[in-house]
Amino acid sequence: MTTASLRGGPEPTARAAVVSVPAPAAARVWWRTHSAQRKVFGYTLLAPAALYVLLLVGAPFLFSLWLAVSDANVGDPVARFIGLENFRAAWEMDTFWIAFQNSVVFLVVAAIFKSLLGTSLAFLLLQQFRGKKLIRGLVVIPFTLPIGISVLSWKWMYDSQFSVINWALSRVGLIGAYGSESWPIWLGQPHLALAACIAVNVWRTFPFSAIVLLAGFTAVPLEVIDAAKVDGCTFMQRFRHVVVPMIFPILMIGFLFDTVFTLSDLSVVYFLTQGGPGNASKILPVLAYQIGIQAGNLGRGAAIALFLVPLLVPALFLMLRNLKRREW
Amino acid sequence: MAAPRTARQKDVRRHLLIYAGLTPFVLIAVFPIYWMAITAFKQEPDLYRMDNIPFWFNLPPTLKNFNILFHQTNYGAWIVNTMNISAWVALITLLTAVPAGYALARLRLPGAENIGIAIFMTYLVPGIILFLPLSRVVATLGLQDSWWALVVTYPTFTVPFCTWLMMGFFKTVPMEMEEAARVDGCGQFGALIRVVLPVSLPGVLTSVIFAFTLSMQDVLYGLAFVSPGDQKPVPVGVPTELIRGDVYFWGSLMGAALLVGLPVAILYNFFLDRFIQGITGGVVK
Repeated sequence: MTTASLRGGPEPTARAAVVSVPAPAAARVWWRTHSAQRKVFGYTLLAPAALYVLLLVGAPFLFSLWLAVSDANVGDPVARFIGLENFRAAWEMDTFWIAFQNSVVFLVVAAIFKSLLGTSLAFLLLQQFRGKKLIRGLVVIPFTLPIGISVLSWKWMYDSQFSVINWALSRVGLIGAYGSESWPIWLGQPHLALAACIAVNVWRTFPFSAIVLLAGFTAVPLEVIDAAKVDGCTFMQRFRHVVVPMIFPILMIGFLFDTVFTLSDLSVVYFLTQGGPGNASKILPVLAYQIGIQAGNLGRGAAIALFLVPLLVPALFLMLRNLKRREW
Repeated sequence: MAAPRTARQKDVRRHLLIYAGLTPFVLIAVFPIYWMAITAFKQEPDLYRMDNIPFWFNLPPTLKNFNILFHQTNYGAWIVNTMNISAWVALITLLTAVPAGYALARLRLPGAENIGIAIFMTYLVPGIILFLPLSRVVATLGLQDSWWALVVTYPTFTVPFCTWLMMGFFKTVPMEMEEAARVDGCGQFGALIRVVLPVSLPGVLTSVIFAFTLSMQDVLYGLAFVSPGDQKPVPVGVPTELIRGDVYFWGSLMGAALLVGLPVAILYNFFLDRFIQGITGGVVK
């Protein structure tokens, strides 16, 4: 048996397979054909999924690179190569830079809030108490509810006149009555619109941060912490040198995962404000959608979407490194 | 020396502190859903009165909003579309992801690890980069403006995710089971169908659930590929079709959202840990 055929499989069972072969001399030939059979069988099983992914993710990705350097249009099926024209045009567009800036602000501000909320929630859920399952089930609802649906509830809560948030704020005297200067119109005022969208993203993903963190904490075996205690480590030392390194890979993956999905999600902003008022809450995915689908300029839209790649690649790269280290 | 009573008191106090800490989180998490629910059952005038406390009914609850939903909108069609899309997506996902997961986890193929990671990484290629080229693919297949467009495009994220998930599942099935089946005269395929699959049924079921819940999370593809009102799935139809110009039918909107959103949320809730395990790549035990 070659080492190659051992790789990737649990060792002991692989050895058991060898042991079960009665005559070693004849076994080599048998094993060889068996191994060949196994590979054919394996790649056949793999083929449908691999083809699907290649044809509908791989090929479209390459195709989007082509679209970005062409003048492809919904009305005109014949696209010409126009070089970096689309990128140049985006680069010179004010709206693009506003959207770019908003995307970065969105990502960073949301990340700060969701990690603060997520960490506090994780520490609370780490305790032992009665009704934990129920409470955990309740607090993760924002994450499990389909986003296209929960964002509607927010739209209603942000209503310009009948906002329940404003009703409550007004009752406790933090803002004036409807129509007064201090009555906030969440989705209609430039400086509030982006904040309102960020709030929905934070609401939706803080449970995710908490659960990932929780998964990280529970992955640290108690014996390890006890061992560090016995060795005379203080709480801070244990935290710094034992807990953090052990949960770091998980946190990293959760963080990267969230970065990818927050950066590329258009649903919250699209349904709440469509990027308005003006361009105050426009982010890159919304801009790409509006230009690519609504205005029908496929090439320009693809180019704008591809501007997300430099933001995404570091995340994907780090994720890849983490996955490579996973135990097999 | 803690007497039982003081120990009990201590425990009660600890519980109270924890509950006090958790209350704001639970309120923030649940309030939008509560607000959805109460709005769905309120009468129209009750929604627009600012002098009363809005958190409860000021006029008797009504089912009128649901009536409108089912009789004057395409809501029924959206539910049927959603079911159809989910069933097809689940089928495609199962037929591709289960065999692939098995092959990558169990058959010691050369390069299995890298292929597995490569497939999972495609899950992380965001839709916003793929939707424009995919719109061309959909148009070429003649599927634009029908829910079939989503049957073709949703597996672009369910197949990678479920393949990865099934890899994890198949790794936990002891290898001896297949060996035994082989000794008993099963072929490779027979061993998979008769022995490994039945044991992995929970994994297969989980894949079906994710094919469904992940499809429900999509907004972009539904927006971009399907425009006729009666072809949309629920998460896209409700926000785009129930708003006419500037007129919002809040009662019906919230009813529509609640009726589909809540079951999905509850279902997903039960499988959330699997999801986290999936994306953290099995680092979590």
